[in-house]
Amino acid sequence: MFVKCAYKEGDEIVFKSQRNAFFEVEHTDFTKKILDNSKVKYIIKEDNLYVVGDEALQFANMFNKDTRRPLSKGVISSTEKEALPIIELLIKSVVGEPAHKGEIVYFSVPGEPLDAEFNVLYHIKIVEGFLKTLGYTPKLINEGHAIILSELAEEDFTGIGLSFGGGMVNVCLSFMSVPIFKFSVAKSGDWIDQQVAMAVDETASRVSAIKELSLDLSKEGGLSKIESALSIYYNHLIEYVIENIKQEFAKARRLPRIANPISIILSGGTSLPKGFSGRFKQILDRLKLPIPVGSVRRASQPLRSVAKGALIAASADESKK
Amino acid sequence: MALSGTETDIINCVARLRLATKDQIRRQVGFSLEYIGFLCRDLIRRSYLGFSEGRYFLAKDGINVLLAGETPKIDRKLLKEVAEEVAREISGELKRTVKGIKIPVPMNIGIKKDTGFEAPPGERIKINTDFDFPIEDESLILESNIDKIGIKIEKEKSDDMDKTVRLFKEIHKKGRKGCSRLKTINARLKASKDRYKKVKV
Repeated sequence: MFVKCAYKEGDEIVFKSQRNAFFEVEHTDFTKKILDNSKVKYIIKEDNLYVVGDEALQFANMFNKDTRRPLSKGVISSTEKEALPIIELLIKSVVGEPAHKGEIVYFSVPGEPLDAEFNVLYHIKIVEGFLKTLGYTPKLINEGHAIILSELAEEDFTGIGLSFGGGMVNVCLSFMSVPIFKFSVAKSGDWIDQQVAMAVDETASRVSAIKELSLDLSKEGGLSKIESALSIYYNHLIEYVIENIKQEFAKARRLPRIANPISIILSGGTSLPKGFSGRFKQILDRLKLPIPVGSVRRASQPLRSVAKGALIAASADESKK
Repeated sequence: MALSGTETDIINCVARLRLATKDQIRRQVGFSLEYIGFLCRDLIRRSYLGFSEGRYFLAKDGINVLLAGETPKIDRKLLKEVAEEVAREISGELKRTVKGIKIPVPMNIGIKKDTGFEAPPGERIKINTDFDFPIEDESLILESNIDKIGIKIEKEKSDDMDKTVRLFKEIHKKGRKGCSRLKTINARLKASKDRYKKVKV
C-alpha cells in the first residue's frame, strides 16, 4: 500500500514513502486552501481534486467510503482510470531526479500470480519506461528476493522471503542469492479487508484502519466482531500461502541440496499485526514444508526491507561500473 | 454388403464428373474396360449408380454413401468442391440473414496454435530480446502540493550495508556457478535416462 524508495546518504539509508491511495473531494478554492493550510497532500487533475496519502484513508473513513488505488493486486490498476498519471506522480515524488544521468534504480516487481488471470508484463514495462523517461537506468528485482537480500546476508542469502503486501503475497526461495522459484498469490491485505468488510458489513477502509491500529493475532479471547473476522481471514491467508509454497516445491525440477535448515523471513504491511509470526509458525508446524525450516521471523523493518533489498542490488550493480 | 475400394473409387469418380462414360471411369480408376463395366453393372443393380444415354450417374444409395462419414470412403477433395459449390449458392442468402448480427468476443480467447513443436513440459520459453517502450510523463498535467509539503522520510544507520553489498557480490557469483553446474548435472542425468529408455525398448 506504499510506494517506497531507499537511497544511501553518507552513513545513513534514507527511506521516502508515499501511501498508494487517493480520495476525491469537492474541488473549490476554499477546500484547496484548507488542505494547503493543514498540510494535506493533494493532486488536481482537470476539475478534480484528490487527497493523497494517509489523509486519503482518513477522508474515506469520515465519508464512509473506500479509497481509490492506482495499484491493484500489486500492479497498475486496469479499472482505475486515473491510475497512470497518479502512480507516475507518486513514483516521481519518492525517487526524485537521478543523481547522475543513467543512475541505476532497482524497482521491485511481483512474481507471476499463480491464482489470477493477469501477468505483470504491462506493469513492468510501464514502470521501466517511466523511470527511463526520468533519466534512470531501471532494473527489476523480485519483491520476495529483495527481502532475502535485505535480511539474510548472515545466512548466505539462502532462505525464503515472503512479502505480505496490500494486493499480493510475494514468495521467493533463494539459494546463495540465486532465486530458485518465485511466485505471487493475488490474496493479501486488501483481500482480507474486503472479505472482512463483507462479512461484518463495514467499509474496507475502516477494517484496514482497525487492522493496522489494534489487531493482535496472539490474543485468543475478548475479540470484537471485526477482530474475530480478521483473525479468521488471516489464518486462511497464511494457510493458502503455505500450501502454494508446498506445491511449488513439488513442481520444482531443479532444487539444490540444502543441508542446513533455512530461515523464513516475513515482511510487508500485512505482516505487521502483533502475533503474526507466531500465527505463521503455528500453521507452518501443522502443514510442514518438504525442507527443514530453522527460524521464522519478521524482517527487522517489515515496511522497509523490500526497498532496502533493492538498494543492496542497485549498490552492488553500481559498484561494478 | 460393404463397398470395395475400387467400387468406392468408381462412385467418387462418377460424383466428380456428374455424368461419366465407362472410358472416363477407366482412365481415372484404372483396370480394363470390361472389368469397369462389370463393376458398374453391379453397382447399378445395387442402386449405387444409374445409367442413361451411355453415361453413368449417382443413384440414391451412391449419394448416401458419399455423405456418410463412418468409413474412409469420402474423397475429401470432392467433398471440398461440393461444399464450396453449396456455400457459393447459399452465401448470398447467408449474407442477407446475418447482416447486423453482432457476436460479442470474449476477453480471454484461448487460441491455441499448433506450432508442430512441443516444448518439454515445465520448460519455459525465455524472451531474450527487449525493446525500449517510451512512456510519456502523464503526471506533468497534474497540479500538486506534494513537493511543497514533502513526503514521509525515515532514516536508519547503514552500518552493515557495505559489508552486505560485498557479501552479495561474492556469494552471487558462487551461487550462479553452482546453479549452472547443477543444470549441467541435471542435463547429463536426463541424457543418460533417455539412453536407458531407448536400450530398454
